[in-house]
Amino acid sequence: MTGSEIYLGELEQQLLLIVLRLGDGAYANPIRDMLESAAGRELARGALYTALERLEVKGCLRSILGDPLPERGGRPRRYFTVTPAGLRALRQSRRVWLGLWKGLESKLEPS
Amino acid sequence: MTADHSHPPQLAERLLTHALGAAVYRDDIVGDLREAYRAVAGRRSVHYARWWYRAQALRLGARYAVHLRPHFERGHTMDRLAMDVRYALRSLAKRPLMTLTVVVTVALGIGANAAVFGMIDALVVRPYGFPDVDRAVLLAETSPKSGARRETVSPANFLDWRREAAGVIDHMAAMRWWDVNLVGRDQPERTLGFFVSPGFFTAVGVQAALGRGFVAADEIRGQDRVVVLSDGLWRRRFGGDPAIVGQSILVDGAPRLVVGIMPRGFGFPMTAEVWAPLSFDAAAPPTRTGRSMTVIGRLAPGRTLEEAQATMSVIGGRLARDYPVANRDRGVRVYTLGQGMTDAALVPIFSMWQAAAIFVLLIACANVANLLLARGAERGREIAIRLALGSSRGRVVRESLIESSVLATLSIPLSIVCAWVFLRVMRVFMPARIVRFIAGWEHMTVDGRLLAATLALGVFAAIVFGLLPALQFARGDVSGALKSDGRTGVGPGRQRTRRALVVAEIALALPLLVAATLSVQGVARSLIGWQGYDPDGVLAMKTVLPAGRYATPDTWRRFTQSAIEQLAAVPGVSGAAAANVLPSSDSNAGRTIEIAGQPQADASQRPAVDYRVVSANYFEVMRVPLLAGRGFSDADREGADAIGIVSASMAKKFWPHGDAVGGSVKVGNEWVRIVGTCADLVHDVFDAVNAPTLYRPFAQAPTSDVSFAVRTAIDPMTLAGDVRRAIDRVDAQQPTFDVMTMRQMLSDRTIGMQYVAGVMGLFGGLALVLALVGLYAVMSYLVAQRVREIGVRIALGATPADVTRLTIAQAARLTAIGLAIGFVVALALGRFIEAALLGTATADVKVPILLALTLAVTALASSYLPARRAAAVDPMVALRSD
Repeated sequence: MTGSEIYLGELEQQLLLIVLRLGDGAYANPIRDMLESAAGRELARGALYTALERLEVKGCLRSILGDPLPERGGRPRRYFTVTPAGLRALRQSRRVWLGLWKGLESKLEPS
Repeated sequence: MTADHSHPPQLAERLLTHALGAAVYRDDIVGDLREAYRAVAGRRSVHYARWWYRAQALRLGARYAVHLRPHFERGHTMDRLAMDVRYALRSLAKRPLMTLTVVVTVALGIGANAAVFGMIDALVVRPYGFPDVDRAVLLAETSPKSGARRETVSPANFLDWRREAAGVIDHMAAMRWWDVNLVGRDQPERTLGFFVSPGFFTAVGVQAALGRGFVAADEIRGQDRVVVLSDGLWRRRFGGDPAIVGQSILVDGAPRLVVGIMPRGFGFPMTAEVWAPLSFDAAAPPTRTGRSMTVIGRLAPGRTLEEAQATMSVIGGRLARDYPVANRDRGVRVYTLGQGMTDAALVPIFSMWQAAAIFVLLIACANVANLLLARGAERGREIAIRLALGSSRGRVVRESLIESSVLATLSIPLSIVCAWVFLRVMRVFMPARIVRFIAGWEHMTVDGRLLAATLALGVFAAIVFGLLPALQFARGDVSGALKSDGRTGVGPGRQRTRRALVVAEIALALPLLVAATLSVQGVARSLIGWQGYDPDGVLAMKTVLPAGRYATPDTWRRFTQSAIEQLAAVPGVSGAAAANVLPSSDSNAGRTIEIAGQPQADASQRPAVDYRVVSANYFEVMRVPLLAGRGFSDADREGADAIGIVSASMAKKFWPHGDAVGGSVKVGNEWVRIVGTCADLVHDVFDAVNAPTLYRPFAQAPTSDVSFAVRTAIDPMTLAGDVRRAIDRVDAQQPTFDVMTMRQMLSDRTIGMQYVAGVMGLFGGLALVLALVGLYAVMSYLVAQRVREIGVRIALGATPADVTRLTIAQAARLTAIGLAIGFVVALALGRFIEAALLGTATADVKVPILLALTLAVTALASSYLPARRAAAVDPMVALRSD
């Protein structure tokens, strides 16, 4: 596992989590909307595609094209799903974060 | 807005799709955005959504075009362009001297073109800055005789035109020249005025700033004693007092009511300062044969120039049928005001300048192409290696073109500075008294249009000088270059190109030099050459005696006689004379004549001669030699025998047997006996030099336009004030104007030619320098290329003299080919040059031959240095230089 370790940035983690949450409906527009509503983060459209493309290149995401839709001018949606490697990377990050959080709750949580 | 709002802006979508190029997500990105667009349109408004879409598309497109793509696919157009530009800048910065040379050369070429463009734009394309000036038109009569010339219009025709064309051309107005004498609170002054019809100010689209323009009633004889003044005149003579509107002032010796003041800067036509109604006598029908008026008008709303022309053609056709005596074969042409008012002589001059400027630019481009080729030769190996390693030829060509574009771009600011300086100099050196005749001279400046033209020229130049080196790269022989020692990494093709460029430069430079030399010759001849009289030490001035106070010939005679006496009494004056027209003045006078004892020609075929009325001592004061018979004397007064003197050319033309003295000519209704002949003189450099001229004594045939010539013992201009006061002593209300030396008059008359000569001299000089530099550079380069060969020759026994000869012979071949081509071009353009120089110079074979020889000698001289360098080659060093 050490050989194929993937490090995820904060945005990448957020994107993977959102894709997981959206399930079957995870394409760019709702991803961007959820990122904005849940994380309060407005991401430039281009940056979103860059990030998604990078995650795909890293092997964390896989995409398939849906059916052409008239409201999109006959273009399909690209639906994303998280790959096993992506899940592993998420778990890994989560472990790292939780490990680092451990014992600091009293200091950091609002009393 | 499109009708279907469910679609985002189509252009934006298409551009975005294009910008995304081959991006992996292209289709779904565009689809996502379209979906989001619908959501936004539902939440907000369609209008908002469309702008939102455009902004999103722009951001996305820009991101993909510039930043993103190289991460995933290599070498996108925009990004590679930025990279190439950076690369070009870096490599140019490494060779500052070459870069500077190229930038300056190109800037001079482009600057010259931009400046000439600026002049043409200001003077020919849109000389008037009135609002909606393209709706204003000029109407001229045409006749088969005059060809393309614009003829003035007869009053009766004008009145018919105006009545019948209403609705197509509105506010039609005639105007007629008016020399105004003003007498008022200050000293008397003479200025330029025009009699104009009521529609005049509306036709040009400018209204009075104060008071009013003219109304229809002003046109009726008897109700026309009103006047409109220019802002400048109002401020100068009336201190800008608004109360002057409604008061009477003295104009030409008679009172006129001031009804309006025009806005600042308005002076049409020519810098007119006074306008009065052009009135018609209701009782007497106006003439249809006397053509004296210029007619303008304004296209009615919605009407086009073509419609106006069609309407006027119909009206003109009818007038030609109804009044065959006056209007046979005559038609009407409608021009835009700008076209119609432009001096037709400007067009060939400007064409010549523009052609010359383009020649200069082409020569500059040839030079730069040569420099870039030389640079390419140095980089030949590098490029060959890159090609061998799989770089595409397209990419190498692209780089080369980008480098040229960067060079052209760098030179654009400098060329704008050149154009600005050029236009500035043109403006500064033009005397104000002439500027007023050139509409648009004041707006000759660097403006948006000139900047646009400069940019276009820059692109043109970049293509011209960039393409040749680029194509050479494209043809580069990879294996040859790699095998060779790098120095001969240039195929013979590239050397041929370089030689061809030098030949082209010389071929372009020769015709340009011919035109420049002819221009300078023409102006030198008219300015400092033989005049037939002595123009040095003469002060000249004019008066126009107004009919109001000088009604009869007797009053003209008395005024002139007293004025001559007063002028002669001024200390420093050695003689004063009067004439109706002085040589080199901008007017002329002529008469048709009959010769006694010779067959009578039909009245319409009678010969015409120049006609001068001069005071008795005129020949003495002007130093015009008398050749036979006697001069005029005070005894030749009114009532005495009517006599005249003829010029040598007139005597020769009409009395070929030498018996002019004693002959008689009929002028008007009077027979005049010839008592002497005088030498010819140059009246108008643009006309026949030896115009047959008949002189009459002023006392026998006085005129109301009188010019005075005062010969002085000291600098004439220092007496200007004294001379004015002398005239004041005769009549303090009589203005004198154009007080200047004969030399100044000559200069004024030829100012256009001086400009032509100056500009052509400048362009010719530039062309010469550039061509010689080009030849020098190529010869140096060829010598450097052949160092090894020369070394071998010397090693095998060639003497330095042989080597020098060899090199110079090579230069001589190039020069000779260039000169031969240039010679043919110069001869072919000869007629064109003559036309532009208005007949002041004739393009014969002599000038091109002389210049070709001169150019040949200088060209060989410029190749001497490289030849010396070749002869100094040390064979040992050369052979080891591998």
